[in-house]
Amino acid sequence: MDILTNLLSLLFLPLGTSILIIALGKHRKKYAPIVAFMSAIGALSLSYILLKNLPESVHYSWEWLAFGDSKFYIGILLDNIGATMLAMVSIVALCIVTFSIGYMSDDAAKGRFFAGVAFFMFSMTGIILADNLIMIFLFWELVGFSSYLLIGHYFQKEEAKSASQKAFIVNRIGDFGFLIGIILTYWQFGTTNIELLSIQSGIDPSLMSTFIGFLLICGFIGKSAQFPLHVWLPDAMAGPTPVSALIHAATMVAAGIYLLIRIDFILTSQVLLFIAYSGTFVALFAGFCAFAQDDIKRILAYSTLSQLGYMAAIFGMGYSGIALFHLITHAFFKALLFLGAGAVIHACHHEQSIFKMGGLFKKMPITSITFIIGTLALCGVYGFSGFYSKDSILIAANDYNSTLFYFLVFGAFMTAGYMGRLIWIVFFGKANSEAASSAHEVSAVMTVPLILLSGFAIFVGLNAYWPFGLGASIVSDLDHLHHLSGYKEIHKWVLILGSAAWIVGLGVSLIFYGKGSSEDRLQLKFPKVFAFLKGRLWVDELYQYYVNHIQKPVAEFLSFVDEVILRGIIVRGGAGLVGVLGVGFRLLQVGKINNYVLWFFVGLLLFWLYGIDLF
Amino acid sequence: MMYSHLLFSTIWIPFICGLIFLVSVKDVKTLGARLLGLCGGVLPFVFAWILYFKYDASLLEAYNFELILPTGLESLGIFLHLGLNGISLPLFILSATVGLSAIVYALFSNAERLNLYVGLLFIMFSGLMGTFASVDLFFFYFFHEFALIPTFIMIMIWGGVARHAVALEMTIYLTLGALLSLIGLIALYQQSGAEAFNMIALKDALLEQPISEVLQNNIFALLFFGFGILVSLFPFHTWAPKGYGAAPTGAAMLHAGVLKKFGLYGLLQIAIPFLPAGSEAWGFWLLLLGLGNILVIGLVTLAQKDLKQMIGYSSVMHMGYAFIGLGTFSILGAGGVLLLLVAHGLSVALLFLLSTCIYKRFSTFNMDEMGGLGQIAPNLSAFFALAILASIGLPGFANFWGEFIIFTALGESESTRWVLYLAALGIIISAVYGLRAVGNIVFGVAKESVIQANTASKVGDMNPIEKFSATVLLGSLLLIGVYPKIFSDYSNKTLQNIYSDTSLLLNDEYVGDFKLERDTEYE
Repeated sequence: MDILTNLLSLLFLPLGTSILIIALGKHRKKYAPIVAFMSAIGALSLSYILLKNLPESVHYSWEWLAFGDSKFYIGILLDNIGATMLAMVSIVALCIVTFSIGYMSDDAAKGRFFAGVAFFMFSMTGIILADNLIMIFLFWELVGFSSYLLIGHYFQKEEAKSASQKAFIVNRIGDFGFLIGIILTYWQFGTTNIELLSIQSGIDPSLMSTFIGFLLICGFIGKSAQFPLHVWLPDAMAGPTPVSALIHAATMVAAGIYLLIRIDFILTSQVLLFIAYSGTFVALFAGFCAFAQDDIKRILAYSTLSQLGYMAAIFGMGYSGIALFHLITHAFFKALLFLGAGAVIHACHHEQSIFKMGGLFKKMPITSITFIIGTLALCGVYGFSGFYSKDSILIAANDYNSTLFYFLVFGAFMTAGYMGRLIWIVFFGKANSEAASSAHEVSAVMTVPLILLSGFAIFVGLNAYWPFGLGASIVSDLDHLHHLSGYKEIHKWVLILGSAAWIVGLGVSLIFYGKGSSEDRLQLKFPKVFAFLKGRLWVDELYQYYVNHIQKPVAEFLSFVDEVILRGIIVRGGAGLVGVLGVGFRLLQVGKINNYVLWFFVGLLLFWLYGIDLF
Repeated sequence: MMYSHLLFSTIWIPFICGLIFLVSVKDVKTLGARLLGLCGGVLPFVFAWILYFKYDASLLEAYNFELILPTGLESLGIFLHLGLNGISLPLFILSATVGLSAIVYALFSNAERLNLYVGLLFIMFSGLMGTFASVDLFFFYFFHEFALIPTFIMIMIWGGVARHAVALEMTIYLTLGALLSLIGLIALYQQSGAEAFNMIALKDALLEQPISEVLQNNIFALLFFGFGILVSLFPFHTWAPKGYGAAPTGAAMLHAGVLKKFGLYGLLQIAIPFLPAGSEAWGFWLLLLGLGNILVIGLVTLAQKDLKQMIGYSSVMHMGYAFIGLGTFSILGAGGVLLLLVAHGLSVALLFLLSTCIYKRFSTFNMDEMGGLGQIAPNLSAFFALAILASIGLPGFANFWGEFIIFTALGESESTRWVLYLAALGIIISAVYGLRAVGNIVFGVAKESVIQANTASKVGDMNPIEKFSATVLLGSLLLIGVYPKIFSDYSNKTLQNIYSDTSLLLNDEYVGDFKLERDTEYE
């Protein structure tokens, strides 16, 4: 198979799958899981063949649309960065689709679910392969659409209705800036092709503009749920858990970071500085919020936010390779954590509050162990994948700015804190509800993906062993770090602080929360602190206020103006005036349509007579 | 020559069908009547696509498939002069597509006095095909009126609440608009000194002897406001939502989907290329009023609770993009407008169609009283959600390209970038009202009474006719969305031809050149 056929089949296989599932009609329920599973295996094999044969990079481009001198292209660019993403996405997707077969087994709308997941895979592959910003934007919106579809899967629930709308609209706000940014880039550089942009900005750095840079990163802020557009991600947990794992943890939200890595050469230093600081802020802010949540999925959602903050921060510090590194390790362990949470929720009959769980370790040993592996990887414990990426983030941060460094170390401490809280309460102690005490281990179709993913969560950090030379940019960034002056001293210091962070975090949470508690001790002992954390800086409330007290009244006022003043007084008034003038023609014009028709033809006849020179 | 007659037949076939339905068909539900109706709907559609494949883009100057028939008005320079160019071809196909969908749906509907309904719809359809196939300006206008009159009648007979008042308001408004544009067209003809009242002759005459700037300004104003009223330009839009709210499905589909495009087509094909100085003088107003459509009407749309009104307002809002696209005076902008017109026509017709299907399930248009359509009719829900997403510019559907190209055109010049920043807010506004509608209608749990009513009336999910009509429209939206070249290549050739001949590009140097040339001529 030549490379182009391979690429195209990789892109269109999921789309075909989605269409096939829809075309199955009444047989959807029965065959959708197996079709989706085969397609995920197919996609993984295609990626494998592709990566095996891939030269350094491939680029294809076709004209899509042209008006005047402006031409727009569609094209494929696959380089090392894209290949790394592609490998991750195919593996994670296969695990998650497999898990879904078990998790969604009782769902009545399996067809819609699997078709949606397949369509998402198509859009995500599109983002990875796109060679220009317009095409990225196109698939960017399509992932948003699949996310909307899947968040709204349980459409009967009020929660799903508002969450899916919120996700789409908040993303649109980000896309508003992104779209303008793309258009201005097009006119500034004369192209949106990524390779050409990199050449152009290299030749003439004066073309780079901070304004355009800020507009472009709006897309990232929306999709990767950065402050202040982070509000949609926790709510998006209303969707089925495998969706949260695939879209809202491992792949789609990371697409924002992927975009940044793609366009890093046209972002000016001011933009990078902003990303570094806002990323650090999100890393901390989301960590704080996680402490006030009792829904297991929402805790993980805030954790995702916080980790995305880490990726953004390190990107802003100029290490896009390390951002990619953390993106990849995070994808595996966070997918693992979400699927583990899914298994727990499935076993506890859709109970999601951690205070109604407890003591699950004995009942579900495989799930518990894999979940703990995921947690250790997230906390950055030595030997687990998260350690390698977080360690390099902290080293780089130490070199960049010591304030940010300490903030990020504190963030790592918080990560261990809220994850410890979750682990101790959910898996240890005694069961706190009927559902938890009757829970038992989930079936093999769900545990096998968990075991697979925990393998990745442990070993994927060893990037030197990645096949096909994947992650070349990671290696070069790590090399750069290793040659910093005083690297050994810094590394020792980072190692001590980083390890202290997770040891203290896990320990303090054990002491403070205790095993298997049924109540939130933070809420009991420090209600004000808890209330503050629960408030999440009142961003949601602020938006709600805007919608209810500004947008709605303005819309209603304008509607009133339109209805009463424009239509009622001016137009009707005008018509009234005409009516008064028309009194004389009363006999001719009685306001019946047939008369108008008649008069139209009379006019036509006169015109005609004039035309043939009768008068 | 054969294809010219094929073009002509797309006009008279629906007309004859319409006459037969009006005069001699008593019961539409008989096989013969239905077959006749299907022929009348399908043939123009098939012919339109045949013409598409026979279209020769290398004929730069002339129109394709030209047909000139005498009418007895030769002394006025009026002939039945038909033909298609890259601007009219996409709209011609749009009209055939929406016509097919509306007619098939109407044939199998349960309207009272169905023969009259279908007959009028056919007359309207015939007028629409004629409008976009006319090169002659008199017939261009005549066919528009020809399609407009059945609209009024249909609202009067089958309209909803307050149909008489609404029809009257719409009649007065649209007649006024049409009158202004007619005066403009006649003035243009008369001032240009062209030998015949058609687009080709006008263009040649104007190229040879441009008319003075003052005259251009005045004529453009007539055409701008005349055509503008017909396209619901802010603040002359108030007829549109009410009118569509009251209109029966078929009339709303054909009017909002196709007939309304007449005005913008006139601006695109005639007013802007033929009156460069005039359009430049009014350029700011094009942008400003277009922004009014997007922002003001966009917000008004947010406040709507009635589904049909909401679609009506959203259609008014989307016309704003077209006006600002024209306001860029570039080939890119004009191309974007053309794509948007086709896309919007398909999507708004689809939305009106689906809103009727939804009404059948809930017996109300009030969105607050709906909910749980996903439960009652999953397929209809999927179609509706996709239609809404298409209309709010989701990539993969045609509307995306229209909006995107127009936005890009606005970004070209520093002087229009402020419009871009404001107009792009429209993508957020439309997402809010669109998704809110989907949320209120599709999501949630259906009321017990609604479920009972549905089981009693056996409405169920979409029937094959509803599916067919909706698929024709949605499929076309997808086709253009995925492969925009299907129209853009032809349109691009024509636009380059007519827009560059008149040297009308907003690039300051172009305008400068143009003025310079004219000055020398006057000396």
